[in-house]
Amino acid sequence: MIEFSLWDIVSNLAQAARWTVLLSLIAFTGGGIVGLLLLVLRLSGQRWLERAIAAYVQVFQGTPLLMQLFLLYFGIALLGVDTSAWVAASIALTLHASAYLTEIWRGCVESIPRGQWEASRSLALSFGQQLTHVILPQALKIAVPPTVGFLVQVIKGTALASVIGFVELTKAGGMISNVTYEPLLVYGCVALIYFALCFPISLYAGILERKFNVVHR
Amino acid sequence: MSSTAEKKGVDDALATPHTHVGAPIVRITALRKSYGDNEVLKGIDLDVMRGEVIAIIGKSGSGKSTLLRCINGLEAFQQGSLTVDGKPLLYESAMAMRELRQRVGMIFQSFNLFPHLSVGRNVMLAPRLVQKKESQQNAARARQLLARVGLADKFDALPDQLSGGQQQRVAIARALAMDPAVMLCDEITSALDPELVGEVLRVVESLANEGMTLLMVTHEMSFARKVANRVIFMDQGRVHETGSPEAIFGNPQTPELRQFLSSLND
Repeated sequence: MIEFSLWDIVSNLAQAARWTVLLSLIAFTGGGIVGLLLLVLRLSGQRWLERAIAAYVQVFQGTPLLMQLFLLYFGIALLGVDTSAWVAASIALTLHASAYLTEIWRGCVESIPRGQWEASRSLALSFGQQLTHVILPQALKIAVPPTVGFLVQVIKGTALASVIGFVELTKAGGMISNVTYEPLLVYGCVALIYFALCFPISLYAGILERKFNVVHR
Repeated sequence: MSSTAEKKGVDDALATPHTHVGAPIVRITALRKSYGDNEVLKGIDLDVMRGEVIAIIGKSGSGKSTLLRCINGLEAFQQGSLTVDGKPLLYESAMAMRELRQRVGMIFQSFNLFPHLSVGRNVMLAPRLVQKKESQQNAARARQLLARVGLADKFDALPDQLSGGQQQRVAIARALAMDPAVMLCDEITSALDPELVGEVLRVVESLANEGMTLLMVTHEMSFARKVANRVIFMDQGRVHETGSPEAIFGNPQTPELRQFLSSLND
């Protein structure tokens, strides 16, 4: 049997953590793009679009992320498309993040006083101009802290991708603990790495929140 | 501060509307509006002549603000027709609405300046985006208009740094920058501390003196009496009584108007 030193364990986990970071970035960026698109559609004033997007948000908020991963992984396969754990995890997490982000951002946009919409409309600005020059720049300030905070949720959410066989931090931890028979040590290290990734972001979100609160009074 | 239309664009003069002096610039015919079952405007007919200054008075809930907001399409009405400077109001066409709104300036009770933009950028935003005005010309015009409302030195200030009266004067400059033919004022001094009301009303008065067509919903009766050509008393969604300031304030005909005026003196 091969002996694993602590260094071996940590370096292996660190390599797997790269995939956690990459998957988080894909989910966060993809979710951000899709979420922004959904937000704009939702604000455009079409009743049926608003309802459809609200339903989309409810579906993703009302079911466990684990089920979403399973359904996507096996669902895509059923359609006859050969899919990897990579693709399934990226898509599932992107959709999941988009639902949450669009809802967070909708709240931010709704907190902008109605008078801002009315004043910009009275000045003959188009819907797109209202959004890009008046509403979104103000909503962005409010949106930064909760958005950064949500990034932490995404990072922790990637752990679930391990169940469909995607080798990221959690999955690697499981594999290593299987050969070292030291689950407590290995999972302790896994948890520490997650914490090392998430804590600075949480800290940063807190700083941003205080900073913007001061500006807004 | 006095200037003539020929010098337009060179100094702080107001735009020249398409409508001739003394011809109707706003035509409202049989306008009805309701929120669900609640009818708030019950058939309004009103012609506003170019250069006319109209004060709309009445109790809260009488529909006066709603009427004003119908004129630039912030509120949709169900029946009747409305034209501004020859342009009819068509809700279906976003283009037509934007065209119309370029002819109508609006000033709000709560100022509604864009807090993330400097005073100068507030004034320049719409001309840049909507009229594609060239930036140097746009900036020069913004400075003229800010000077006109007495805020030449505030070009780079943020709205938060200004008093309420100053913010409202910026809002007036911002509306003027689009060269509107008609200006709507929706209780523009109601959110101001009493000592700041005068500076805003003086600017409005100067606009009136230069021939701007003004429709204002106001609680400032002495101002209405001094500046308006015509006073409209609204009650329960109708134009209840209309006439010169002297007639309305000096010789009210209906019991509702008499009651309203006496309630102000309590």
